[in-house]
Amino acid sequence: MGGGDDRWGELLSAAQAGDAAAYRDFLTNVTPFIRALARRRLRAEDAIEDVVQDVLLTVHRVRHTYEPGRPVAPWIAAIAARRSIDSLRKRGRGASREIHDPIAYETFAEPDANKIEVDDFSKQLAKMMGELSPRQKEALELVKLKEMSLVEASAVSGQTVASLKVNIHRAIKRMRLAASRNGVE
Amino acid sequence: MTNRPTNQLIDLLSSNVKPVAPLPPPLARAGVTLATMALLCGLAFVLLHESNPLQSRGPGGEWLVGFEMLAMLATGILAVTGAFFLTIPGRPRYWLGAPLVPFAAWLMLSGAGCYRDLVRTGPAGWQLGHSMDCMIFIVGASLMLGAPLLWRLSRATPIDPLPVAALGGLGTAALAAFLLQFFHPFAVTFIDLAVHIAAIIIVVGLTALLKRPMLRPA
Repeated sequence: MGGGDDRWGELLSAAQAGDAAAYRDFLTNVTPFIRALARRRLRAEDAIEDVVQDVLLTVHRVRHTYEPGRPVAPWIAAIAARRSIDSLRKRGRGASREIHDPIAYETFAEPDANKIEVDDFSKQLAKMMGELSPRQKEALELVKLKEMSLVEASAVSGQTVASLKVNIHRAIKRMRLAASRNGVE
Repeated sequence: MTNRPTNQLIDLLSSNVKPVAPLPPPLARAGVTLATMALLCGLAFVLLHESNPLQSRGPGGEWLVGFEMLAMLATGILAVTGAFFLTIPGRPRYWLGAPLVPFAAWLMLSGAGCYRDLVRTGPAGWQLGHSMDCMIFIVGASLMLGAPLLWRLSRATPIDPLPVAALGGLGTAALAAFLLQFFHPFAVTFIDLAVHIAAIIIVVGLTALLKRPMLRPA
């Protein structure tokens, strides 16, 4: 990496001191490098982008383990390799347990009949989510809908893991109450 | 995982960045932890020790026990140091194999001592000594020595916790076995040696099994 690595080291050291602009520069500069590393192990573009984001979240979480003055590239490469392997394992497990069945959620033979039911449910769900506080809604969206881990959701939202857990619990409780009130199963 | 564009994630992360103190180098962290563990071992030795370990193999066996103890100590020190290096992304993976050389030497020297006793004392060399006490000691002392180690290792939130936990477990078990020699006024037989190995496997297995709650990996 040469000079680029030295520049990354300076930016990351500044980020450790809390410099947001330096951190933004660092993350933006290393993203193509991370993407290239992920591309060596993965083929699907969506999987590569997932790994890139996962690596960025991990970098955020472990940025205190970078020792100022040492090369940054091997540090990032190790994180990218680990997260690529995790992604491959996760996808392998998913592929061995799940089957593709496009009509699995269909209840009625006539496709339009299902659409009405889905549309109706979506409206009710949106209404119930509208009753949640912004932090509860954010916690539920990140962890339950976008399937982020608590740690990832914590890094993205700024809420602590404990706070995320409490907000998800309260959101689900509130939605259950609303569902029983509205007769939704 | 997410539909959020990567540049949006970068904005989110950089706008939420807080100052963090970089971890000291792994060698320094290992040194402080080993010093803490040595202090705990020293305390146990001063309060409880009951025998001179070098005399456990009888006349002429002192050198064998001495080298065996050196190999135990080297296994413990290298495994603990290696665990600290492996918590940092990108540090050399050869640390994973570094304690295996003294560990193999330890087992060979211990086996040689057991064989020497078997030749010297006949069938008595097969007897079961205080094996269960030894197992309880190694597992118990590992818990005492492992607590400060795991706490310090967890500060790095390792991205790959299994090798870190396994080396940490091997290191504490080896240092616990080293400490055991000062409370072991009799020679180890082959059966005792098998129980010692089983105790080490239990400690390494436990740390590997509990790696997530103990090391809080990233």
